[in-house]
Amino acid sequence: MPIDAANPVPPSFPRHVGMDQVPDHVPPELIRQSGLTVGPDFLANPHDFMAALHEKQPPIYYDVSPMGNMWHLIKHEDALFGLRHPEIFSNEGATPFPRDPNDYFYFIPIEIDPPHHRKYRNIVDPVFSPQGVLKLEGQIRQRANDLIDAIEAKVAAGGTCEFTEDYGRPLPVSVFLDIMGLPQNMRDEFVDWAVKLLHSNDRAIMADSMQKITAYLKQAIEEKKANPDDGVVSRIAHATPDGQPLSDKEIFGFVCFLFIGGLDTVFATLNNIWLYLAQNPDKLAEIHARPQDIDKIVEELLRRWSVTFSGRVLDKDFEMRGIQMKKGDRVTFVLPACNFDPEVFPNPKDVDFDRPRKTILAFTVGVHSCMGAHLARLEVKIALQEWLKRIPSFSVKPGTQIEYRPGGVIGPEHLPLVW
Amino acid sequence: MPQVTYVDHDGHETRVDIPVGENVMRGALYNGIEGIVGECGGGLSCATCHCYIDEDWTDTVGGPSSEAEAELLESASGEIRPTSRLSCQVEITPALDGLVVHLPETQF
Repeated sequence: MPIDAANPVPPSFPRHVGMDQVPDHVPPELIRQSGLTVGPDFLANPHDFMAALHEKQPPIYYDVSPMGNMWHLIKHEDALFGLRHPEIFSNEGATPFPRDPNDYFYFIPIEIDPPHHRKYRNIVDPVFSPQGVLKLEGQIRQRANDLIDAIEAKVAAGGTCEFTEDYGRPLPVSVFLDIMGLPQNMRDEFVDWAVKLLHSNDRAIMADSMQKITAYLKQAIEEKKANPDDGVVSRIAHATPDGQPLSDKEIFGFVCFLFIGGLDTVFATLNNIWLYLAQNPDKLAEIHARPQDIDKIVEELLRRWSVTFSGRVLDKDFEMRGIQMKKGDRVTFVLPACNFDPEVFPNPKDVDFDRPRKTILAFTVGVHSCMGAHLARLEVKIALQEWLKRIPSFSVKPGTQIEYRPGGVIGPEHLPLVW
Repeated sequence: MPQVTYVDHDGHETRVDIPVGENVMRGALYNGIEGIVGECGGGLSCATCHCYIDEDWTDTVGGPSSEAEAELLESASGEIRPTSRLSCQVEITPALDGLVVHLPETQF
């Protein structure tokens, strides 16, 4: 049932956790404890783990996990179907992000299904379209070079480049501030909030940083209401779809979602790609040799190193591949696994810049396709180009143990580089 | 402002004004024309904005503008014809005023 975005209420469907909470309609032979995002095999090498799901698991299985029990779907074809049918696989209430039940809000537009979804997307699509993001190109190049200046100075002074902190994290945050129309002097504070919110694994710290983010964004929205500019916060605050201004909850939910949606994903993607390139000098040489193919290169790297998942809730009983799923069941489309589907991408773990163009799932598909996809592609492209001009080859600092932590966005925790 | 006419699978026509510099996919999305999905937003990654250029316009519009468009067209779910294009790659120019495009029955 469509929800009323202006009057948000917390979702009410049940959450199942653990073996004793497997619903009766789940066939016992499909119950797994795959370890996705939490198990030692996953954490040792998440992308290898997800590629191997095609050998180790059936196309659809019911995963029992401390993160919640849900169906996992790993086939490219099934993800395209499911994600393109929001009337079956609903997004309303499917975003696993805790909010204050007494001051609840929806993340807009990800938690809003059609028909209301497009109303919100039309507000920001001109900014996030391929042509729209190109206006930011010069600024992103400048931000990248500023960070590389700082890295070179740090290394010259005897320090080590910690890629995640020195480039992977601050670059997307800077770009986010630019596109939102927020001041660059907030960069380090935003970095701090994002890290605590998304990586602390401590609910008290998470709640505290969420509170700080909320206070800052609410004040920024008020300021933009009074002093409009061409940034996205102002654009949302002043939008009047169908002639009506958005409510305060809608404005906040929209701005807050962009903050959460945009920061960690590009961060993790950059960290994955730099780790791969640091370990694969032949691919690095190929990228140097093919500057005209940078768009293809970025697309293939995004396929190979995609970082997140799409969660949905069944809005009706539905059968797939002969398996009966029931209304209220949770579903995770394991997007990185879908990008390793050997039926669509032969030799899926090979990074092959000459693969024919196919639909990749790095940014999911369907109406909830990532609105920041073009910005993310541009950021990855510029991050690579500017870095490689100045630091043409690099490797992981000897003795480094690459580690991953449990979570919904996948990338190495630390990445010290030397050159 | 150039006018573009979308003819859906049932023959129903919708004529809309689209600013120069936009594209045929976005013109459909902004005006609620349902035969175009355009889910990736013009990134050449989804093949859900497939259209057929009207025969009278194929010379003016031309074929796929890149190798990626030609490859991705093969993933489109509707029948692929010589007039097939991904509408996100058809940019609106003054020369396209009056353009007619036909929409497939389904985009996926």
